[in-house]
Amino acid sequence: MKTGKTNGLKRIVEIAGIPAAAFLIMVLLCGIQGVKLFEMEGNWILFFRAAASVMLTTFALSLNLNSGRFDFSIGSVALLSSVISASICTAAGLPTIVMLMISIIAGALLGAISGAVYVIVKLPPIIVSLGVALFYEGFAFSITKGYGVSFVANAELTSFPSVANYLLIIVCGLLLFIFLFDYTQFGYDYKALLSGQKVAVNTGIKEIPNAVGCYTIAGALMGVVGFISATNTGTIQMALNFGSIGTMFTAFLPMFIGGFIGRFCNEKIGYLLGAVTTAFISLMYARLNVDASVQQIVTALILVGFLIYLNNENKIIELVQLKKLMGKTGAEKGK
Amino acid sequence: MNKSKLKNYMMNLTPLFGLAALFAAFLILGTIRDINISYGLKSIINQSVVVAVVATGAVFIYTLGSFDISLGASAAVSALIGGMVYNRTESVFVMAAVCVGIAVLIGLFNSVLASVFNLPVFVTTIAMLSVLNALVLVLIKVNGTGSEIAIPAAAVKAINNTPFKIAVLLLFLLLSIFIFSFTKIGRMQKFQGSNPVCAKLSGVSEKKMAIIAFAMSGIGVGLGAFLSIIYAPTLTKNTASSVGMDVIIAIVFGGMPVSGGARSKIYAAVIGAFSMTLLSQIMVMFNLNSGIGQMVKAAIFLLVVFLATSDQRGKMLPR
Repeated sequence: MKTGKTNGLKRIVEIAGIPAAAFLIMVLLCGIQGVKLFEMEGNWILFFRAAASVMLTTFALSLNLNSGRFDFSIGSVALLSSVISASICTAAGLPTIVMLMISIIAGALLGAISGAVYVIVKLPPIIVSLGVALFYEGFAFSITKGYGVSFVANAELTSFPSVANYLLIIVCGLLLFIFLFDYTQFGYDYKALLSGQKVAVNTGIKEIPNAVGCYTIAGALMGVVGFISATNTGTIQMALNFGSIGTMFTAFLPMFIGGFIGRFCNEKIGYLLGAVTTAFISLMYARLNVDASVQQIVTALILVGFLIYLNNENKIIELVQLKKLMGKTGAEKGK
Repeated sequence: MNKSKLKNYMMNLTPLFGLAALFAAFLILGTIRDINISYGLKSIINQSVVVAVVATGAVFIYTLGSFDISLGASAAVSALIGGMVYNRTESVFVMAAVCVGIAVLIGLFNSVLASVFNLPVFVTTIAMLSVLNALVLVLIKVNGTGSEIAIPAAAVKAINNTPFKIAVLLLFLLLSIFIFSFTKIGRMQKFQGSNPVCAKLSGVSEKKMAIIAFAMSGIGVGLGAFLSIIYAPTLTKNTASSVGMDVIIAIVFGGMPVSGGARSKIYAAVIGAFSMTLLSQIMVMFNLNSGIGQMVKAAIFLLVVFLATSDQRGKMLPR
């Protein structure tokens, strides 16, 4: 019984250790400066918005990246889907929920087109995604004549940001993602293709519909990311020459953290906790007014530090054990 | 030469045909629209040469099947530090040496970090991209006027001409071709890219190959930074900002396989860089808005790469 409890506690520490440690460090850093991490409602909104947005981007990125498909176009899908939905809703005076629906549908469609191009031309996904990103950025620029979309004065569309709404997105997104990839034939096929493409194809698993499906789901997720970003500021700014790929980079740190946590629980929950960890960091940056350049450097250092640990974990553990052993031997000799 | 060999040969030449077709289209359209062709060509060379030089060095990294997304940011940092050094020393030669030195150091840091800590090279360069972009902002804030670091245009006026830029490109291209095609290093690089396991078992050091590739790429980045200063002596946070992605596009457009290996070609970088700039110039001639121009560019990019690699498609989807 005691062992069971100990194991359970150990598992909780393994799962929640990183976000909890991040939270404590951020509270401490803010405390040193005499600032509370969560003080006003706006802080909570910022935290949950960052968590929702980063979690969905991480799902979208990892979905294809885990299968060896590097996708530069996810940022451009978020951009174009939000331009389409915001343009329609501002012109027709439609409510926020319709904008969300249109964003999801447009994102899914754009993702499906991206996937279709990939399976038709059979070029490496990285090349296809470069072409698609350029195309979607150009398309978004053309339909807005380069001015972007602004609906700052539209009280209905800008009323979306709230803790409850972002929480709803997080819960729905997570449950849907778990259901799709852990409880459906599509998910089983995805996992089979992921672990052995050739064997899976030879056993009759249809790779093409699965790949297009993955791109479609990633597109729908990025549609929501675009919606979150647009309704937060009420403006959508244009990006050309790969200006949209920055979105993708926000997901690397949570993806690696999520991958690590995923060893002890469902990987999707790991991605959520990875997103929560980065949301704590983002909130700390905002609360302490950290300079953008310092933010970039600190985030990059955390990413590199974490990767160094992940890729040298065994060596580090061996080193720690060796030191312990040497300490014990030294103590015994002393006796 | 049998039919399939001839087909493969022609496929390999597709990017070259693409460049020739774009050049012909530029000349025909330029004549019809009565533009100053020689001025247009000068502009194309000015725009292409930086990407061509950086991409030529980057081919060494791509040959290994690796990928560096931080090249543009590295060029920006090298150019800024080069500019700062010029303002202290007033020597163009020292500025050029510093540009190359800094870029090589950044490349070596990337490769050593990846080799020593067993990190995936691509992820290391993503982190490096953030650090270097931040460094650009810091350098401008600390050493410049707050928004730029400028060197006097007169200082580089004597070398701001097409023959000098072409000479820099040709010299680096020849050095790269020599190393790539006529030395053991080049063969080992292609071997490593084609089959890393076999290469390792044959005694090829993965770490050594990575360090050489990043050092060669660093020389290209440094020369690119130097040429950027010559072209635009006022350096801002946007200096060389698009170079990183342009290099990827240029290399692929020029017919270089993303997976690297034996099919890698040094000249792909130059063909790709000039093709992309010609394409952009043609879009400008059609008076297309930037968005439509970029859409057409994307479609042509995919089409050319599709045609150039049509002999390499298998039963399964590529990854």
